[in-house]
Amino acid sequence: MILKYTLKTAITGLRTNKSRSVLTVLGIVIGITAIMLIASLGKGAQNLILDQIQGMGTKTVIVLPGRQPKGASDSAQMFTDSLKEKDLEALMKKSNAPTIAKVMPVVFGADTAVYGSETYRMTIFGASPMISEIFDLDVDKGEFFTDEDVKSLADVAVIGANIKDELFGSSDAVGQRIKIKNRTFRIVGTMPKKGQVSFFNFDDIAIIPYTTTQQYILGVKYYQRLIIQADSEANIKRTVKDVTTTLRNNHDITDPEKDDFHIETQEDIASRLSVVTDVLTMFLIAVAAISLIVGGIGIMNIMLVSVTERTREIGLRKAVGATEKDVLYQFLLESVLLTGTGGAIGIFLGATLSFLISLILSNVVGLSWEFIFPLSATLIGLFVSGMVGLVFGLYPARQAARKSPMEALRYE
Amino acid sequence: MKIIEVKNLEKIYGEGDARTTALDGVTFDIKKGEFVAIMGPSGSGKSTLLHVLGFLDKHTGGEYYFEGKKIESYTEDDLAKLRNNKMGFVFQAFNLLPRTTVLENVKLPLLYSDIPESKWDALALEAIDSVGLTHRLSHEPSQLSGGEKQRVAIARALILNPSVIFADEPTGNLDSKSGQIVMQTLQRLNEEHGNTIILITHETYTAEHATRIIKLHDGKIVTDEAVKHRLKATQFIK
Repeated sequence: MILKYTLKTAITGLRTNKSRSVLTVLGIVIGITAIMLIASLGKGAQNLILDQIQGMGTKTVIVLPGRQPKGASDSAQMFTDSLKEKDLEALMKKSNAPTIAKVMPVVFGADTAVYGSETYRMTIFGASPMISEIFDLDVDKGEFFTDEDVKSLADVAVIGANIKDELFGSSDAVGQRIKIKNRTFRIVGTMPKKGQVSFFNFDDIAIIPYTTTQQYILGVKYYQRLIIQADSEANIKRTVKDVTTTLRNNHDITDPEKDDFHIETQEDIASRLSVVTDVLTMFLIAVAAISLIVGGIGIMNIMLVSVTERTREIGLRKAVGATEKDVLYQFLLESVLLTGTGGAIGIFLGATLSFLISLILSNVVGLSWEFIFPLSATLIGLFVSGMVGLVFGLYPARQAARKSPMEALRYE
Repeated sequence: MKIIEVKNLEKIYGEGDARTTALDGVTFDIKKGEFVAIMGPSGSGKSTLLHVLGFLDKHTGGEYYFEGKKIESYTEDDLAKLRNNKMGFVFQAFNLLPRTTVLENVKLPLLYSDIPESKWDALALEAIDSVGLTHRLSHEPSQLSGGEKQRVAIARALILNPSVIFADEPTGNLDSKSGQIVMQTLQRLNEEHGNTIILITHETYTAEHATRIIKLHDGKIVTDEAVKHRLKATQFIK
């Protein structure tokens, strides 16, 4: 039989049972829509996260204590005290690392701020004024502490919006004094609401000179991070190399296996996060794929009903010369057409929905969310929906093809 | 020329206690251009005989030659092809495709033939014209009377100019006037176009439109003789 007529026959077959066809295909539509949504939103979320990381600046290199962890559970080496003041001094020497523009040591911890009868549990960030540049932080009242304050171990703090609101309400915080570990700190600046940046919520953070934090709050001599800014993006590799050499010299390390520090660039973090979001997206798609299997079983069910219902038609077609193959193809095509149409509708719905969601996320929620049309999910979706029709249509179609024409014609 | 030749044809259904002999050694032959009525009460095996002759069912014993060739020598696909271009079927229940126009219904056998698509319309129109339904071309079966439906089925049966037309109780669901028109159509095809027709019926009146009557009882031939006073259905035609 000519394909065109097989197609026409299949379409006619589906149209005579319009509402049933629509209901049957719903499972496929939902499955493909879900896959499209997940793929599009997953990619969008990934881009958003990557954007935020890039927000720290692509010239930034971070030195962490301990060797590079070898796996998710290999954390023992991460908490060492290997980064010390002499490392900072060595890195600041132009002869060691000429491409380094700035180095900022960071220590952090959590403690309670007390103001009168109010208390607030906050994160303390021991840093230098350079932090405002790296994380793009501003003060809306007062000003940032200075490098002088760092040198003199000044008891000054810049606080995030939540801390200010909790402790001071609507009154002015700048110039007020709070107590941390029974030591009095003067608030020199407050930051406007900023929300999550990279891994930190700066609204809950108090920034204090790292020297003060080490000495009076944490009581440690080491740094938890050294954040380094290279003089240009092109020099990142050179900087990483110089930092490695300098620190190894400083720590008397000859065997790279025994490194007690490791270095992360923005690129490293981005690629590691991409793996996480990719795995998450794949997992969600796998879950959505289950709905396709359920949908496929629905298709098989209905096709079986349809084959039984149209037994006489099958008998007639065989009587006028249809071969088993002709009948097989007719019913297979019907089921592929059904799921293929479902897939196409799902792709359209999924794309439209994720576009609408991205509009809401960027315009209403205010994220810098970008709509991504998941081309690969579209192609996979079309292919998979067709395959579902083929696989789940095969059994009913074979049932139809094998009917004896005589018995089919006698069927009541 | 013998189109159909059967020797000792047997058809047994089931096994053991459920074993039923539908055809019990039937022997006859049908020549080109004959109009044969096969008669008998229900259960006599006449429908089984038609199914076996039309390749819709398989016999279990004896021999069946179609156009001189033993049917065991054909594959399933060959049989489908023979049904397509050598045989036409008219059923008691019409068996038209619902929600499909007269034109498309008549074209159905062409879908499975080797005839190029460009000739389909002309062939279908010719077949529909020969049963006098040109004015109903784009009607669907639900808009037709019983007699008209059966004439559409006849048009479908003869579109590929088959050697044999099998008609299984074609007037069984029709009032007498519509039945007359159907019989007249069959007679005309037989006389003017030379189509061989094998008609199954339990009514003597209908059978007498044929030229020969084979009477079956319990799967055996009781009589096989020519019709002496053949009925002509022409007088009912407008």
